Amino acid sequence: MSGIPARRVTRLLEQRLLSVVAAATAVILLVLFYYPVATVFADAVLEEGGFTLDPIISILTNEFYLVDIIWFTAKQAFYSTIASLALGLPAAWLFSRFEFPGRETLRSLTILPFVMPSIMVAIGFVATFGRNGTLNRALSVVGLPPVELLFTLEAIIVAHAFYNAPLVARIVTAAWESVDARTVETARSLGANPRRAFRDVVLPQLLPSVGIGATLTFIFTFASFPIVLALGGFQLATIEVFVYSKVRDLAYAEAASLAVIETVISLTLTAVYLWYEANQRAAGGAASPLPRQSVLPADWTPKAALRTVGIAGYGIIIGLVFIVPIASMVLASVTGGDGGFTLSHYAFLVERQATGASFQVKPLPAIWNSLVFAAGTLLVAVPMGVTMAILTTRQYRGRGLINVLSMAPFAVSGIVVGLGLLRGLVFGVDVFGTRIRVTGTLAIIAAHSVGAYPFVTRNVAPLFSRLDGRLVESARSLGATRTRALLDIELPLVWTGVVAGAAFAVAISIGEFDSTIILAEGSGSYTMPVAVERFLGRRLGPATAMGCVLLVVTSMSFVVIDRFGGRGEL
Amino acid sequence: MRRRTFLKAAGASGASALLAGCTGTGGESTTTEQSGGATGTTTTQGTTTGGESPTLTIGTYGPFVDTVSSSPGPWLKDQFESEFDATLKWQTPDSGVNHYIERSHRGVESGADLYVGLDAQMLVRIDENLDGELFTPTEGLSHSGDVNEELEFDPKGRAVPYDTGYVSIVYNETLGDDGAFTAPKTFDELLKPEFEGTLLAQNPTSSGTGKAFLLHTIDAKGEDGYLDYWAKLKENGVRVLGGWEPAYNAYSKGEAPMVVSYSTDQVYAAESGEDMAKHQIRFLNDQGYANPEGMATFADAANPELATEFMDFMLRPEVQAEIAVRNVAFPATTTAELPADFAKYAHEPPEAVTFSYDRLKGNLSDWTDAWEQEFASK
Repeated sequence: MSGIPARRVTRLLEQRLLSVVAAATAVILLVLFYYPVATVFADAVLEEGGFTLDPIISILTNEFYLVDIIWFTAKQAFYSTIASLALGLPAAWLFSRFEFPGRETLRSLTILPFVMPSIMVAIGFVATFGRNGTLNRALSVVGLPPVELLFTLEAIIVAHAFYNAPLVARIVTAAWESVDARTVETARSLGANPRRAFRDVVLPQLLPSVGIGATLTFIFTFASFPIVLALGGFQLATIEVFVYSKVRDLAYAEAASLAVIETVISLTLTAVYLWYEANQRAAGGAASPLPRQSVLPADWTPKAALRTVGIAGYGIIIGLVFIVPIASMVLASVTGGDGGFTLSHYAFLVERQATGASFQVKPLPAIWNSLVFAAGTLLVAVPMGVTMAILTTRQYRGRGLINVLSMAPFAVSGIVVGLGLLRGLVFGVDVFGTRIRVTGTLAIIAAHSVGAYPFVTRNVAPLFSRLDGRLVESARSLGATRTRALLDIELPLVWTGVVAGAAFAVAISIGEFDSTIILAEGSGSYTMPVAVERFLGRRLGPATAMGCVLLVVTSMSFVVIDRFGGRGEL
Repeated sequence: MRRRTFLKAAGASGASALLAGCTGTGGESTTTEQSGGATGTTTTQGTTTGGESPTLTIGTYGPFVDTVSSSPGPWLKDQFESEFDATLKWQTPDSGVNHYIERSHRGVESGADLYVGLDAQMLVRIDENLDGELFTPTEGLSHSGDVNEELEFDPKGRAVPYDTGYVSIVYNETLGDDGAFTAPKTFDELLKPEFEGTLLAQNPTSSGTGKAFLLHTIDAKGEDGYLDYWAKLKENGVRVLGGWEPAYNAYSKGEAPMVVSYSTDQVYAAESGEDMAKHQIRFLNDQGYANPEGMATFADAANPELATEFMDFMLRPEVQAEIAVRNVAFPATTTAELPADFAKYAHEPPEAVTFSYDRLKGNLSDWTDAWEQEFASK
C-alpha cells in the first residue's frame, strides 16, 4: 500500500525534474552571476542616480583605448585562436582516430593546463623560452643563434595555445568519437574516396565543435590578463589589464565601462557563433564510433611513413609547448638555491602542515578544499549543463536569447564577477531591513558551477542536436516520462560529451581563483592554486612544490573521471 | 540614524522569511547578519563583556603574516598575547585596504580594530574615495617620540610608521658580456645603449615597488619630464611586469641583469647562502625611494584602547628589531637594536627620496594614468 504514493512521488519528480533543475539553474545564475555583474555594470551607466553613456562614449572616442588597447586585444586573441586550433586539432585527430599505449590516460591529462595557475605557467615558460631557457640551450647545442621570445607578442600567443589547444582538442575529440562509423561506411559504399567521405560526412559533424573551440579560445584570450602581463609586459596590455588596473585604483566607472565594452564584444561573438551552430544541424546517432588505427602502420607505404613522421614531428612541438614548461616547474621544485638537488621545498610543505599558524595557508586543507569544491561542482554543474543543453536544443520562441544568456558566464571577465560578488553578496545586501550575505562552501561551489556548467552545455548540446528526435518521441509514446527518456535513451548517446564536460567542470573548479578567494574571505576555504600564490616569494621552490602537488592531485582526479565516465552505461 | 533604528526593528522577521525562501534552491548558502547599532556588529568581534579576554582584530596584507621565509605576524601574535590579556586575530583581505574602503562605501562596519601596512599612496586613495574618516588620529603613544621624523607620512596624524623599505635597483654582476655587469649610476646613464633590455620594472598601478620607482623618476625628471624619460626607457627596452613577484622571478632566472626591488635584498640572499654577486644594490642618483609602512586605528574600532596598546607595543625597541628582521625592512624608530648581520646586508641610500601626502594628493592618479597611456600597447 505504502509503495504506491512513493512511486507516484518518484513519477511526479521524474516528470518535473527538468523544470526543477532549470529553475534552480536560473536562481543560482541570478544570485551569483547576473546580480553581481549588474551591480558592477551599473557603475558604467549610472551617475548620481541618472542614466548616462558618458563613460562608455569617452572610452570609445579615445584613440588610445580604441586603437592601442581594444584593437590590440582583438588582434592577439585572433592570433592566439589560430595557434590554438593549429596545435589542438591534430591532437583531436590523434586521440579520436589512433590507438596507442596510454592513449586514454594521455587524453585525460590534456585538460591539465586548465588548472595550472598562470603564475606557474609564466615561470615554466620563462624557464623554457627565456634567454637562458631550455630552448635556447638546445639551439646553441646544434649551433643555432638564440631566440628572444619572452616579452613579445609571440610569447603571449604560445602561452595562450598552451592553455587553449587542449580545450580545442578535447571538445573536437568528443565530437569525433561520436561520429557514427556507419555514415562513413555508407558514403564509402556509395563510391566516395576516404578524403571525400571525410569532407562530406565527418567534417560537417566536427565543424560545430571546432567552432566552439575557436569561439571559446577567442573569448578567453580576449579577456586574458595574468599571462599577458607576465610574458608580454605592460607594453602589450589588454583591456582586462586595464580593467584590473582601474579596479585597483577604485576608478569603477572607467573599469565598468571597459568591462561593458569587453563583454559586448564577447557576447556578440558568442551570439554569432550560436546562430551558426543552430544552422549546422546534421542527422545521425553515435551508436558505433569510428574504428581507431594504430599509430605505427602495419605496412610501411610512403604515405603511411609520411603520416608517422608527421605525427612524430607534432609530438616534438607538443613536447616543447606542453611538457617542457611543466617539466621545468617539476625540476624547479627539487632544485635548491645553489642549483643542486634538494627536497627542502617539499620539507617546507610538511613543516608548514605540522607547525603553521591557524591563519596561515597549509597544504592538506588546500588539497581537501579543492577536492570538496570540485566534487560539489561536478554534482551541481553537470545536471545544470545537461538541462541547459536540452533547453537550448529544443524549438521555441526566445531560444536564442536563453542560449546567449546561458553562455554569458564565459563572456564576462573573472575580475568583474569577483568584484560584483565582493561589493554585493559578500558584504551583504539589505533586503527588507535584513543584511543578506552569501559566503562559505556552498556559495563557492555555486560560483564554480556558474563558471563550469556552460562547458558541460557546450560539450553536450551539439551531440543532442544531432540526436534523432524520433527516438525520444517513440519512447514517450510508449509511456516513458521525459526524464526517463533522457536517462535511458539520450544520455547514453551523448555520454562522451557529458564526460568531457564533467572533466571541464572539475578543471574549472580546481583552477578558479578570483571568486574562490573572495567568497572564502578570511575563512579556511583556500584551495590549491591559492596556496601556490601564497607560497610565492623571493624563492620559487615552495610554490613550485605546491604546484607539483596540485598537478599530481588533479591528474589523478581527471584520470578517475575519464575512466569512471568512460564505461558509458548509466 | 533613523535607517538603523528601522533596520534593527525589521531585521529579525525579514531574516527568517528570506532564509526560508532561499534554502530550497540548493545552491547558495545564505547567512544573515543583523545590522547592529552605531558601534558595529557585536557578533563578529570579541568585546570586553562578561570577563572574557577581548579580541583585537588587525587587518593587513598577506605577506605580513604568511610568507614562506619569515613574516612578523605569527611572532607578533604570540608576543602580544603572552603579555596582554587579549586574543589577536589577523585578517588578510585579498584586496588589502581597498576591502575596507569598499566596506565603508557600502555602509558596512570595518570589522577590524586597526590596519597594519599603510603607505602614503593608500592614504591618498582612501581620502580621495571616502567622504568620512576610515581611520582615527592616533594619540597617547608613549613611544611616538622614537619614530624617525623623516618617515612620518600622514599630516592628519592617523598612520604611525613602523618600518620602511627603500626601493632601489638590484643587479646581477655575473650577467655581463665578459661576466661583469655593473648597473648604471644615474637615471640618465640607464638610457645608454649598453643598458638596452637590461631592466625589469613593475606596473605602478598594481605594484608598490612599481609605484615607488615611477615616483622616483618623477622626482628626478620633474612632472614635465618624466613621461619623456619613460618613453626613452621604453625605447631602451625596459620591461614592465605586473608585480614584484613575476619581475623578481624572471630576474632570478637570469632573464635580465637588473630589477626594481628593495635595498634589503641581500638580507634574504645571505640567509639562504646565495652568491652576493647576484644581489648587488644600486641607488640611482645616489638616492633610494623610501616607502614607510604605517598602522592606524579604524574610526569604528570595537577596542580602540587595545589598538593603541598594540601600536605602542609595535614601537618598542625589541619589537622594532624583530619586525625589521622578519619583514626585511628598516625599523621606523631610532631606538631599535638591530643584529650585526642585518646592518651588514641591509643597505641605506645616501639620500632618501619620498613624496609627501600633500604632494601625492590630487596628483597621483593623474601621474599614473598619463604613464599608462604613454607606456601601454605600442
